[in-house]
Amino acid sequence: MKINVVKSVLDASDTLARANRRRMDEANVLCINVLSAPGSGKTSLLQKSLPLLGESVRSAVLVGDLQTTRDAERLRDAAAQVTQINTGRGCHLSPEQVAEGLDGLDLPAVDFLFIENVGNMVCPAAFDLGEHLRAVLLSVPEGDDKVAKYPTLFQKADVILLTKVDLIGVLEYDLGRLGDDLSRINTAAPLIHVSNQTGEGLDAWLAWLREQKA
Amino acid sequence: MHEMSIATGLLESVLEAAAANDGGRVEQVELEIGAMRLVVPEALEMAWSIVSAETPAAGSVIKTTEIPIKARCRACGNVFSPEIADFLCRECLRADVEILEGDDIILKAIVCEGDEGTDSP
Repeated sequence: MKINVVKSVLDASDTLARANRRRMDEANVLCINVLSAPGSGKTSLLQKSLPLLGESVRSAVLVGDLQTTRDAERLRDAAAQVTQINTGRGCHLSPEQVAEGLDGLDLPAVDFLFIENVGNMVCPAAFDLGEHLRAVLLSVPEGDDKVAKYPTLFQKADVILLTKVDLIGVLEYDLGRLGDDLSRINTAAPLIHVSNQTGEGLDAWLAWLREQKA
Repeated sequence: MHEMSIATGLLESVLEAAAANDGGRVEQVELEIGAMRLVVPEALEMAWSIVSAETPAAGSVIKTTEIPIKARCRACGNVFSPEIADFLCRECLRADVEILEGDDIILKAIVCEGDEGTDSP
C-alpha cells in the first residue's frame, strides 16, 4: 500500500526556528549564528570584540560544543550572559537546543545574541536556528581554498571573516584565490580581515554589527 | 553527520503517516533531497537503520531522489540552476542568490505492508 505524503522533513525543525526568531524579535534582540571549522577563532573573536561594543550594548552568547564548558568560561567576562550547550554527539546545534538556551536568558536585557555553533563546516550550515544573520569565519591556517570546498556554508553567509590574518606571510596564503572563489559563491557578504592577536579588523566587524542593529 | 538529525525528523513523519492511514509495517520511504542539504545517501541509510530499529519502519528501504538547485539572483532577478560550488549569475556576474529549490527535504510517499498490493508504479 503506497501512501503519498509530501511533507517537509524539516518542518518541525523550521517551525521551532521560526518560533525562536519570533521570541527574539519580540525582545528586540538581533541574533547572529557564528559558524566555522573548529579552531578558526569563533570564541576568540567574541572574547576580544564584544567588550569593545561598549557598556551600553548588552551581549549574550549561546555556545555549542560536544563537551566541556571551556568556551563559556572563556566568554564569561566578555558578555553579560553566557550559556554553554553541550550537544554530546551532535555535530550541530538544533533549534530545540537554542530554544532551551533562550529559556535561560533574560532576553529583554539583550541587544545582540551570538550563537556560537559547533565547529563544523557542513552540518550546522543546513539548520536554521532562528538567527537573523550568519557570520562565517575561515582562518588563514585552514588554507585559501575553504570557500570552494564548503560552498553552501559560504553561500548562506551574511558576513565572512578571514581570521588570523597576522599569519599571512608566515603561511602561504593566496588572497586572490579566496576572492575568486567568493566571486562565484557570495558577492553580497562583506569579507572582513581580522586578527584576534593584533586587533586588526575588529573595528570593521563591530561597525558591521552596529549597522545591522541600526 | 547531520543525517542523524534528518533521520530522526523523518521517522516522526513516516510513523505519523503510517498510523494515519492504518498502514502496517513500513517497507519503503521515498524522499526528495535538495542538493543544498549535502546529504550523503549512504550516511542517511545508516542513520535510518539506527533510528527506525524497533519501530514499524524497521528494515524499510529509503529511496532518495536529489533535487537540483534553482536560484534567483537578488541583484537582477535572473532565475537559473546553479551548480553547488558556483552561484554566479551569468547575467549580471554577481553571486547573491535566493535559493528557490533544492534546499528542502521532502517525504514524498511511504509504502506500507498491505494486502491490496498496489505497489508504486
